[in-house]
Amino acid sequence: MIVAVEARGLGKQYRRTWALRDCTLAIPEGHVVGLVGPNGAGKTTLLRLATGQLTPTRGTIRVLGEPPAASPAQLARVGYVAQDTPVYARMRVADHLRLGSWLNHGWDNELAQRRIRQLGLDPRQRAGSLSGGQRAQLALTLALAKQPELLLLDEPVASLDPLARREFLRSLMEAVAEHGTSVVLSSHLVTDLERVCDYLIVLVASQLRVAGEVSSLLASHRRLSGPRRDPSTLPAGQDVIEQSHTDKQSTLLVRTGEPVRDPAWTVTPVSLEELVIAYMNPANDIPARRPRLGVAS
Amino acid sequence: MIRLTWLQFRAQAVTGAAALAAFAFLLAATGPHIASMYAASGLSSCQGSSCENLARTFLQQLKADGGYSWLYLVSVASILLAPAIIGLFWGAPLIAHELETGTSALAWTQSVTRTRWLAVKLAVVGLAAMAVTEGLSLMQAWWAAPIGRAVGHGASSGGSIFSMNQFSTLVFATHGITPLGYAAFAFTLGVTAGALIRRTVPAMAVTLAIFAVVQIAIPLWIRPHLLPPSHTVIPVTSLESTSGSTQSTGSSGNSFVLLTQNLPGQPGAWLLSSGTVNAAGQAVSTAPAICFTPSVENSSSGFVGCLADHGIRETISYQPASRYWPLQWTETAIYLALTLALTWYCFRRLNRRRS
Amino acid sequence: MIEFQLDETSGVATYLQLVQQVHQALRMGMLEPGDQLPTAQQVVARLAINPNTVHKAYRELERAGLARARPGLGTFITRSPSGTDPATQARFLTGMTDWLRSARSAGLGPDDIEAIYRTAFRTCFAEGVA
Repeated sequence: MIVAVEARGLGKQYRRTWALRDCTLAIPEGHVVGLVGPNGAGKTTLLRLATGQLTPTRGTIRVLGEPPAASPAQLARVGYVAQDTPVYARMRVADHLRLGSWLNHGWDNELAQRRIRQLGLDPRQRAGSLSGGQRAQLALTLALAKQPELLLLDEPVASLDPLARREFLRSLMEAVAEHGTSVVLSSHLVTDLERVCDYLIVLVASQLRVAGEVSSLLASHRRLSGPRRDPSTLPAGQDVIEQSHTDKQSTLLVRTGEPVRDPAWTVTPVSLEELVIAYMNPANDIPARRPRLGVAS
Repeated sequence: MIRLTWLQFRAQAVTGAAALAAFAFLLAATGPHIASMYAASGLSSCQGSSCENLARTFLQQLKADGGYSWLYLVSVASILLAPAIIGLFWGAPLIAHELETGTSALAWTQSVTRTRWLAVKLAVVGLAAMAVTEGLSLMQAWWAAPIGRAVGHGASSGGSIFSMNQFSTLVFATHGITPLGYAAFAFTLGVTAGALIRRTVPAMAVTLAIFAVVQIAIPLWIRPHLLPPSHTVIPVTSLESTSGSTQSTGSSGNSFVLLTQNLPGQPGAWLLSSGTVNAAGQAVSTAPAICFTPSVENSSSGFVGCLADHGIRETISYQPASRYWPLQWTETAIYLALTLALTWYCFRRLNRRRS
Repeated sequence: MIEFQLDETSGVATYLQLVQQVHQALRMGMLEPGDQLPTAQQVVARLAINPNTVHKAYRELERAGLARARPGLGTFITRSPSGTDPATQARFLTGMTDWLRSARSAGLGPDDIEAIYRTAFRTCFAEGVA
């Protein structure tokens, strides 16, 4: 399994605050990775570290096996769309495509032109007068047409209306289907996650809360509800991620490697959205992962 | 990358070209007339002492025709201002604008390294900056060549704008190759300020401030000492004023001011400083009281003869005219060295953290 | 060709919804053995979902013996799912109707019955995620 992005103890400090702290993960290639977290959690910092726009204060990061922006060859393998999809306001759409062809060896001009046509963008229009959705699509076109192995997208749909958002994701998924591109897509929204992502990373307050394949995360988490119970009485191997109690009833979200057999509990599966929200809630104390022996992932 | 640089630089280049064209047009329209006036003045075939008078006449004629003084001033001012304008409008936004608008995230994540991006941009725009400024300077030098020749014949007294010799601050900074150095320095200063400050308008302000300070400090304190000056001692020949006092009030406060503009035997030299020394070579600041008495002042040799009788002479430090080009090269070298240092720093800065 | 839908509110995993829709289509005769299933690219273009989800659904169908992937050509239905014979269907229909009648006479209203049905359905089918 080739690792698309690998971080070890990665941290970034600005003056006195840590934008990202002690982040260790290994994102496999061939996935669409959802990088989720509230605003200011460190998602943008992680992506900017991955594109070489920032250098780490601590730890290391490797993208496609090399340090970020290490060489023109490595730059060519990674596509990036920054937050707010910056474009050159006074340059025309066609000029942006020319920029792409001049600055990228692996530029597929046919693909770029076709996308612009399909999207209905006027090549002679200045990029500054495009709508938010059109700008995002232009930025995505630029990133896709250089034919990268890995696409890093920083909140590309955050300020788009639902239709523009759906169109953007559709374009993205079509590119993944056609070229097998790996994608890391950051967002502070949890909608569209399950439909698009098959790998999940949750960042909260500059720290990593969870990282893993969506299918194994869904398989290893359960909602338990039953009569009021102290969570510390749960057997080992069942980690409580979230809990709420009334005087008569307890509802727990647990992470477990094995089926829950205690008949006192009503066991229901957890949707991806509920799982993400539980991990995003800073009030929840996430217990450390046990060694890999017990947990299937 | 060159094509991209041109695409982004196009608007500024057009403005620069338009300014250059307007400048050229103005000078081309008036230059031939100056040349014909010079030809009519007989200066090209003059001999000896008549040259100075002919030159003075020629310059007075030019000055009387008010338009030429004004044009001379404007053209010199344009060359002086060009590096500053280039530093502000071509240099400061180069990196700062990309960082400000976030387009750096687009520019630096294509397949071109930041080093290459910056190198091409600096080279293309920097060379354009030097070409524009030096172009202005060369055009003005062509236009004002007759004036320069007149001044060279010794007509540099009279205080008119045309009488500045080649070492005077305005002329030295706008002729020769110094404009090249200023342009390169101002441009690179702007780029560096933009890289550090990351906002275009503040970077422009800082660039202007620093460039102004440098452009004042170097002619004032550095340029005179770039090469060791020569020294000579001559008899006092011309004075601006004397402040006399009667013998009854004593001799303190008797002073006089020298105003030597031309050094005999050193036409076109740059006078750095002058002072008075006595017969023993020591510096003195006052003359013997007797020279201020009315009887001496009204005698045939006058005040000046009295000073000579007492061995009071003038000591002058100066740069001979032959030092013009060595000084030009030395000063330009300094500016180019500063440019290289700033360039190196820019590359270092760009390849480090960018937050 | 079958056209897939996605119900985001159902809580059922996307790939499972695709599998179920294939089952449904086979049952209703809209799909027959030999028919080609849409390519991942076609599904993605319509639904804007992760292509891996489509692959996962088709692998599930292959595992169940209902479909087969032919490299370079596509994925094709091989046979109808078992359990579609009318006798079995009629048997379960009768059982279901009886159960509904007794629930109704026990005092359960349509909403109670629906809640019970959905809970049981979710438990039964979603457990298959593991």
